[in-house]
Amino acid sequence: MDDLFSNIMLGFSVAMTPANLGFALVGCLVGTLIGVLPGIGPVATVAMLLPLTFYLEPVSGLIMLAGIFYGAQYGGSTTAILVNLPGETSSVVTCIDGHQMAKQGRAGAALAVAALGSFFAGCVSTLLIALFSPPLAKVGQSFGAPEYFSLMLLGLIAAVVLAHGSVVKAVAMVILGLLLGLVGTDGNTGGQRFTFGLVTLADGIGFVPVAIGVFGVGEIIANLIAGEERRSLVMAKITRLWPTGEEFSQAWRAALRGTALGSILGVLPGGGATLSSFAAYVLEKKVARDPSRFGRGAIEGVAGPEAANNAGAQTSFIPMLTLGLPGNAVMALMIGALTIHGIQPGPQVMTERPTLFWGMVASMWIGNLMLVVINLPLIGMWVQLLKVPYRVLYLAILLFCGIGVYTVSNNTLDVILTAMFGVLGYIFMRLGCEPAPMLLGFILGPLMEENLRRAMRISGGDPMIFVNRPISLGLLVAALILLVIVAVPAIRTKREEAFQES
Amino acid sequence: MSTPTPTTSPPWTHVLLRKDVLAGLMFIAVAALGLWLSRNYSVGTALRMGTGYVPRLLCWILLAIGALTFVQGIIAGEEIGSTDNSQWWRPFIFVPLSLIVFALAIERLGVVIATLLLVAIGAVAGQSMRIVEVAITGVLLVALTVGIFVWALGMPISVWPEF
Repeated sequence: MDDLFSNIMLGFSVAMTPANLGFALVGCLVGTLIGVLPGIGPVATVAMLLPLTFYLEPVSGLIMLAGIFYGAQYGGSTTAILVNLPGETSSVVTCIDGHQMAKQGRAGAALAVAALGSFFAGCVSTLLIALFSPPLAKVGQSFGAPEYFSLMLLGLIAAVVLAHGSVVKAVAMVILGLLLGLVGTDGNTGGQRFTFGLVTLADGIGFVPVAIGVFGVGEIIANLIAGEERRSLVMAKITRLWPTGEEFSQAWRAALRGTALGSILGVLPGGGATLSSFAAYVLEKKVARDPSRFGRGAIEGVAGPEAANNAGAQTSFIPMLTLGLPGNAVMALMIGALTIHGIQPGPQVMTERPTLFWGMVASMWIGNLMLVVINLPLIGMWVQLLKVPYRVLYLAILLFCGIGVYTVSNNTLDVILTAMFGVLGYIFMRLGCEPAPMLLGFILGPLMEENLRRAMRISGGDPMIFVNRPISLGLLVAALILLVIVAVPAIRTKREEAFQES
Repeated sequence: MSTPTPTTSPPWTHVLLRKDVLAGLMFIAVAALGLWLSRNYSVGTALRMGTGYVPRLLCWILLAIGALTFVQGIIAGEEIGSTDNSQWWRPFIFVPLSLIVFALAIERLGVVIATLLLVAIGAVAGQSMRIVEVAITGVLLVALTVGIFVWALGMPISVWPEF
């Protein structure tokens, strides 16, 4: 317990320096700014702004990046409530009751509950990260190559199972990502793989072009093809920001349940914000005395999912920070950012770079506090932003995608790759292929191959090493159970239901 | 003479346009391309894996899953559907094109001209292009880009053409 206290103090001493406070604030502001814009989710926002943080110190860069992530997440909720356009899948359910509330003139209450619920969830989940990361990292440090390989396999399988849409296609997308990750020079043999003889591809495909292309550019193409935006902006109705006493008493329990649910689901590989918010909505509907209120402006339908998606977004940092295992696309981006800063993600981060780890944890709490301040009093400013027409916005987004990718390594080919992945991203969308599992595969591909090779060298080429080691065996069994579960028809329909609540 | 086609089974074009059928074909194509490209990579043994061991293994798995997706699509599935937009090709072509032109222009012509080119070509991708609006957007974005990336962040980007 003493350890925890001194660690948190260390974190605050890092996060509270004027420079880092400034970076957290800028991150939250810019994240909100872009997150508020309809049609750009947190993944695209983080991917787009990632290059900006490469020029900073690793700690400052990660603090800013985390701020961007929360800001984008939060901004998406604002848009969901006011415009009925979810920025990303995690705010889809917020639209249902949040926008109804706005239509009834209760937009202020919905926004306040969303903000306060998220803040509460943020506080709890930050504490959870501080509590559970050290023991988990200790477990991680005892892992050898076979355990890591099995763990990553479990992570990928969980990502597939928890992704929405077809499981088979999600598996194919993971493998596609793994293959893309292998492009370049083979670190062990020095052989060139899938480089088409291009020198620039010898270092592999950067993850920035892939992420910005698939999530940023692909989304622009999709939005433009979908045609004229049909926005129903509820304006000039935010008279009272505070919920009434009755609304408040309905909301706090929902926020509590949402926080608990989100914190658990966020840690699961493939979990995170989206799954948490959907699950919380279903839960609120189940426990409500009068479920028919849902869909007509029930405040629990805003408080629960908003708390849950923030808790889930936050606790998904746990496996990323302690094991180096990204559970969702945003965490995959974070891993990429760490790597670019020259930090090998894994359990050693906490012991070798305690200031980085604890500084980031402390900044999470600060970021959440800043967001309440940024969002509630400044809500009018964000509303103004929503008036900018998309036909102007997409040009700005397109430009930032282009210049962002270019500045990572001053490489023309990276921008061209981004354009190509943009087209691919649109095609994936049309074919119902989720791009998030692909990004996970892409990040984990080289790591998995490396660990597979090491494991084979340890065992002398005997694949039985994966089942002879107890931890590895346990992880593989867990993966197998997940696969079996998803194949059971009854559970399969339940899973589909959970993702089709809207 | 001709037997009437049974009404229960859809014409083959409709089957072909199912999401899963197309996705399956895409995965099969990628896997086949990967296997062809890696045909000369040394595979090695499990103990001493060659350059091609993991890539070829993954390609074979992708081929199998692609085939599975394809078959699933043939049996049943949702069609890809039309876009309700006769001008769908405009974003599809001009969004990536604007980025490619931007990439090729930025080193030779500088960020100002590259940005204007991106805005001009990007504007063609949208349907409701208004010349004045695009011009204003272009000027604003140039100011923003130069302000943020060149002045504030001091990134090594040339502003004007270099000869």
